[in-house]
Amino acid sequence: MYIFLIGIIIMSYTMVMAKRMTSLVASFRMQSLFLFLATFFMAMKEKSAELYIVAGLLLLLKVILIPKFLSDIIRKLKMEEGIGLFLNPLVSLLIAVFLTYISYVFTTRVITFASASQAFSFSASLSVTMIGLFIMIFRMKALSQVIGFLAMENGLFLVASTVSGGMPFFVEIAIFMDVFVSVVIFGIFIYRINKLFTHIDVSKLNTLRR
Amino acid sequence: MNILFILIVPFILAVLPSVVKKPRLLGILNSVGYLFVLLCSLWLVLKPDMVVSPSRFFYIDALSIFFIFTISIVTFSAALFSVDYIERDISSFFISRNKARAYYTFFNIFSLSMFFVPMVRNLALGWVAIEMTTLASAFLVGFYNTKSSIEAAWKYIMVCSVGIIFALFGTIVFYYASSCVGVKNLNWADMVSASHSMDKNLIKIAFLFILVGYGTKAGLAPMHTWLPDAHSQAISPISALLSGVLLKTAIYAILRFTIITNECVGSDFSSKLFIIFALISLGVSAGFIIIQKQMKRLLAYSSIEHVGVIFLGFGFGGVIGLYGALFHVLNHAVTKSLMFFGAANIIKKYKKDNMNIMRGVISSMPFTGTMFILGMFALIGMPPFSIFFSELLILMAGLGKGLYLASGLYLFFIALIFGGILFHFSKVLFGDKPDGMACAKEGASVKIVFIFLFILTVVLGLAMPGFLNKIIASSVAILGGA
Repeated sequence: MYIFLIGIIIMSYTMVMAKRMTSLVASFRMQSLFLFLATFFMAMKEKSAELYIVAGLLLLLKVILIPKFLSDIIRKLKMEEGIGLFLNPLVSLLIAVFLTYISYVFTTRVITFASASQAFSFSASLSVTMIGLFIMIFRMKALSQVIGFLAMENGLFLVASTVSGGMPFFVEIAIFMDVFVSVVIFGIFIYRINKLFTHIDVSKLNTLRR
Repeated sequence: MNILFILIVPFILAVLPSVVKKPRLLGILNSVGYLFVLLCSLWLVLKPDMVVSPSRFFYIDALSIFFIFTISIVTFSAALFSVDYIERDISSFFISRNKARAYYTFFNIFSLSMFFVPMVRNLALGWVAIEMTTLASAFLVGFYNTKSSIEAAWKYIMVCSVGIIFALFGTIVFYYASSCVGVKNLNWADMVSASHSMDKNLIKIAFLFILVGYGTKAGLAPMHTWLPDAHSQAISPISALLSGVLLKTAIYAILRFTIITNECVGSDFSSKLFIIFALISLGVSAGFIIIQKQMKRLLAYSSIEHVGVIFLGFGFGGVIGLYGALFHVLNHAVTKSLMFFGAANIIKKYKKDNMNIMRGVISSMPFTGTMFILGMFALIGMPPFSIFFSELLILMAGLGKGLYLASGLYLFFIALIFGGILFHFSKVLFGDKPDGMACAKEGASVKIVFIFLFILTVVLGLAMPGFLNKIIASSVAILGGA
């Protein structure tokens, strides 16, 4: 179990370190794969058919469909490869590690969990969520913001499936649908931004001030 | 049954544009549909005891009915206002006829998702409904497909998505806390009854996530950054919906979680947080209103102010504070819609949105100008309009609790905003109209919308109808003010 969690966190770090869009997507795919494995492992442990389905959906959506959709966008927009670094990779990595540490301290000091593994899962997912937020804020391309959003959501799934043993089934399905719809809509807007501005650099979107 | 009608009508209207091709006919059908929805929700308000939720999926109590009623008032006015607005957009070649049909589809998906929020029993499905409101309205914010509107839409969808992620995180932690004590379904009522035995620390953390998350959507400063852009760039009838009721659906979600939190850790915790965020919102909006140049942006910042006032009321608490806050939810929805529709007409007529050069609205558009000036007085809280009374109630609640510093700051910011809005809008309203500009004639449907909303602001202020009073009072009881 721990190995999957560590994998997820390490993939967060590689996402923070990534300099090119393709490697960012690849790291995201790996992170989703580890998330799938973690969920699958939980499903085997709890012998719950619902968790198996959730794991299957994770595999289908987050490991296969969404990364493919993102790669398609990269290919079609022929965007130059940079992801709009606002902070250089090394500083970013230091901050990411610091976020993990903060999450760990926060979890162990403030909350009392039933078991040590739950506490570990919770701090891992909190740190993945925070690193996702960091990517959204400090990477300036619209597409990298979407990936940051997806990474945050991976953190959420981790907390939902490992700590609380899965949300009620139809809720999970509804959330999956929602994630999928939002990614498609993000894609539509990225195309529109690209068409109007001929780039997707969010830091240069500044016609609206005050 | 009525509840199903309220959901079915927007659904039918959402698919209608694929059959009906004429934009004007669509607009009229749309308005008729929302009139029907309004009547249904009025029936809910009149007979709250006879409401039975149609299935286990729904949960309807006085609080939900109150929010459904507020949403239906604003959706009806926006639908009626859209008829003329969209037609003028088509005739001036801003949008094509196909685009007008897309507008009605998104309008209805947006309204449908807003009606879902106060109805669903399950808190996580409430989350899904709120996320759907963001996704549907993002298209309406970026409707004109100009650089600035697409930028606003992107900012809106990104900032609110982050907010909503935090809210989901909070929801999951709430779920964990309740599953530890045996409630494993996220149903609000079950969670309330189990809340006493939940882990207090866990609930506090979860509530923080909820407040920051849904607070982003509700427009609380400092998470408000998307709001002025989205409200000012959205197509005007939608600005009214965004400001009037979209923010309120997020407030509704926060309230549901507040009830659980208050049951578990006492009301002090949420009260303090509400008051802090409310005062920040008031301060931020006061500053930006004073230096504002654009009319719709000013109104957007004023929404942040009023959300602040609402949260201040919830934070002060007690029967008076809670009553005032809920009353303010309705008053702000009505008055702000009136103002956005007025601003829409003015901006259309002057073809710009810069308050430094627009002059003489009263003489160039007598009807809209008059309504706008009355609406302005209502908005800044002059008696006898309704906002004055709800703001007064909230002030009384604060003073009654002995929170003199917060009440004093509240009065100070309200006074600043009073002056700011009066200064900016009186410049625009009075003076000489531009040379060669003809007097505007508004269509009948536009006039009906203005008069309907104006009568509501006056009636709510002077003589609150008994049935509405009753529904707000029972909502206050649900919020724990009894």
